[in-house]
Amino acid sequence: MRRILRGALLPALVFLLWEAGSRAGLLPMDTFSRPSDIATALAGGFADGSIPLATWQTIQAALSGFAVAAAAGVLVGAILGLSPPLERTVGPSIEALRPIPAVALTPLTLLLFGFGLRMEAGIVAFACVWPILLVTVAAVRGIEPRLLEVAQTLRLGFASRLRKIILPAALGRIVVGLRVAVSISLIVAVTVEIVMNPRGLGYGMIIAQQSLKPDLMYAQLLWLGLLGWGLNALLTRAFGQWHGSFGPGVQP
Amino acid sequence: MRESPATVLSLEKVCVAFGGRPVLSDISFDVGAGEFLCVVGPSGCGKTTLIRLLAGLLAPSAGEILFQGRRLAGTGRDRAIVFQDYSKALLPWRTVAGNIALSLEACGIADPERSERIGALLAKMRLEHAAAQFPSQLSGGMQQRVQIARCLAQQPTLLLMDEPFGALDAITRQELQDEIARLVAENRTTVVFITHDLEEAIYLGDRVIVLGTNPGRIAEMIAVEIPRPREQLETREDRRFLAHRHRLFGLLQGHRA
Amino acid sequence: MSLARLRGLGAVLFAAALLLLWQLLADRQFISPVFFPSPSRTLAELYRQVVQGDLWRPLEATAYRMFYGWALASLAGVALGAAIGFSRTARDYLDPLLEFMRPLPASAVIPAAVLFFGFSNTMTVAVIAFGAVWPVLLGSLHGFVSIEPQLADVSAALRLSRLQSFVKIAVPNALPDILAGTRVSLAISLILAVVTEMQASQTGLGQNILLAQRSFRSPELYAGVVTLGIMGFAINHGIVLLERRLLRWRGAA
Repeated sequence: MRRILRGALLPALVFLLWEAGSRAGLLPMDTFSRPSDIATALAGGFADGSIPLATWQTIQAALSGFAVAAAAGVLVGAILGLSPPLERTVGPSIEALRPIPAVALTPLTLLLFGFGLRMEAGIVAFACVWPILLVTVAAVRGIEPRLLEVAQTLRLGFASRLRKIILPAALGRIVVGLRVAVSISLIVAVTVEIVMNPRGLGYGMIIAQQSLKPDLMYAQLLWLGLLGWGLNALLTRAFGQWHGSFGPGVQP
Repeated sequence: MRESPATVLSLEKVCVAFGGRPVLSDISFDVGAGEFLCVVGPSGCGKTTLIRLLAGLLAPSAGEILFQGRRLAGTGRDRAIVFQDYSKALLPWRTVAGNIALSLEACGIADPERSERIGALLAKMRLEHAAAQFPSQLSGGMQQRVQIARCLAQQPTLLLMDEPFGALDAITRQELQDEIARLVAENRTTVVFITHDLEEAIYLGDRVIVLGTNPGRIAEMIAVEIPRPREQLETREDRRFLAHRHRLFGLLQGHRA
Repeated sequence: MSLARLRGLGAVLFAAALLLLWQLLADRQFISPVFFPSPSRTLAELYRQVVQGDLWRPLEATAYRMFYGWALASLAGVALGAAIGFSRTARDYLDPLLEFMRPLPASAVIPAAVLFFGFSNTMTVAVIAFGAVWPVLLGSLHGFVSIEPQLADVSAALRLSRLQSFVKIAVPNALPDILAGTRVSLAISLILAVVTEMQASQTGLGQNILLAQRSFRSPELYAGVVTLGIMGFAINHGIVLLERRLLRWRGAA
């Protein structure tokens, strides 16, 4: 109980000082806005449907990109994981493509698809496919060889083998990669919206900032923060704590 | 209990309880200067608790501990403790020489004396060829030697050893037993040595204390009285050795039941 | 020829085959050259940029912002990680705030940063620092929190002062995690540098790509992407080499 109170102290303090400072004229309204106005803007955004719409657009792009990346990453990862020679041949080419920042491809996908969902989902897919691919390769490589021999003796076709033995055996570790990718998908989607794509919450914030409506901008930022936190909490509940690049970690 | 001017350690009715549960009860004994005291007992009898107590990592719930005539309060550099899990007690990012240096740094000893002492210890523990290697590159026996070297670097009055050879193979164990016996005899260090191995206790010790379990109590204290230097084959076949062994074996069995 | 070299050759051949395919498709105009310039044109453009010196100013600008923001983030991240790692109370107070800010896409703070700093270098560095601090902070926190209990005992037995204990035990122990966090942090810094450039129309590799797209000069676009890829690869590899040097002791384990 004490921990909850302590944790709530700082945010509460921040809000109080923010509100008070703004009303006292110490904090300029055009940059800082104030919590009460932000709350109003948030409520308004929900009431007129603009925030739910933007949220849906962002989630749609993130999810579709993720789905494509998951399908491609797991499939290719499984194939490469099963065949070390193939993996060694293709590996360096993957290593060459992987360091390209996904956002750098924004202008390229713009050329290809124009503005809209496909372009954003495409970039999300590019960003998400690498962690999934790499984790899948490692997971498949780590499968107990006996299980693979069982598949051989039963003379299962490739698709059957994949479905019945390989994927279930490697699932635990693959899921870790998927979890990483889900977090990435949201981040990349919002980034693309901020940089260029006129869709979603990212774009909403840019518009709010440009039309001198800081309260709406902060409202959307707050909402995005809550979404991210909620998503993270959900994933942690389902799959355990994750500390960035360290995989499932220990609770500090 | 003999109280001579050369008593290094003195425990009087010491008790340790964790959250109401007694772990050690009514422990009283003395250790004289230069003496090698072994403590044996079945698992869970509180041996590790006792050694942590003597190191100052724990405080007793009742009773008194006197070290060199003064009340024991917390840790001190004049007491060195060798842990059983050597891999976790060495700094993995420092070389062998670096690990030994840690004690000297703590004691505030600077170069050139520091390098001299490290060199001497490396020679004494036969670690010269491994001076620049990291713990991960060494065998278990060598890692334990490094830990012992680090403790000896403190030039401690009291050397505490918590089942130091328990995780090693039999041959390495015997080598290290003889090495430790030789080293402490040279420096006249007082030693309290914890082990679950009865024969090891009798082989190494001047006196052996047997701890009972639940809670840990002194069940028996014997004086070994076999002359030094001792030898792995001969000593273990000595009449007195076998007699002690019989006696204490029965005691340990009884307490395990 | 040894097996290892044979495999290496296989990898090179595969990459070469991909490039060849790309070249053929582009030459035969199966895909519009506007969208997919051939590798030869891309490389020619890249070569031109290097030789004529067009590459260096944007590269330098991007790199400068990236490193500056990353350096700030690292300092803050390690310091905060140490502070939080050692103080249970600090953790209680700060945890909810950190848990809220951590999953926030760093680019999402760009509009707010623009509000405060306009389209300036300060804005860029602030955004980069905000995004890059998390991996280092988390790594540092993890490293400082997970000290082997035996080592704590050793430190107590040797009566090391708090400072000595921190410098000789806590920091080296945390170093592997801090370095791992740094690697991720640099990657994020690069991405955010590019993003903020595109947003703020500042000189840099990101802006190059954007301008190339707007004027439909695809060889330039691709050349820019390739440059960024090389940059990302070089940085990552640099840290890997650093890790190998500093963390030699992990070897046999």
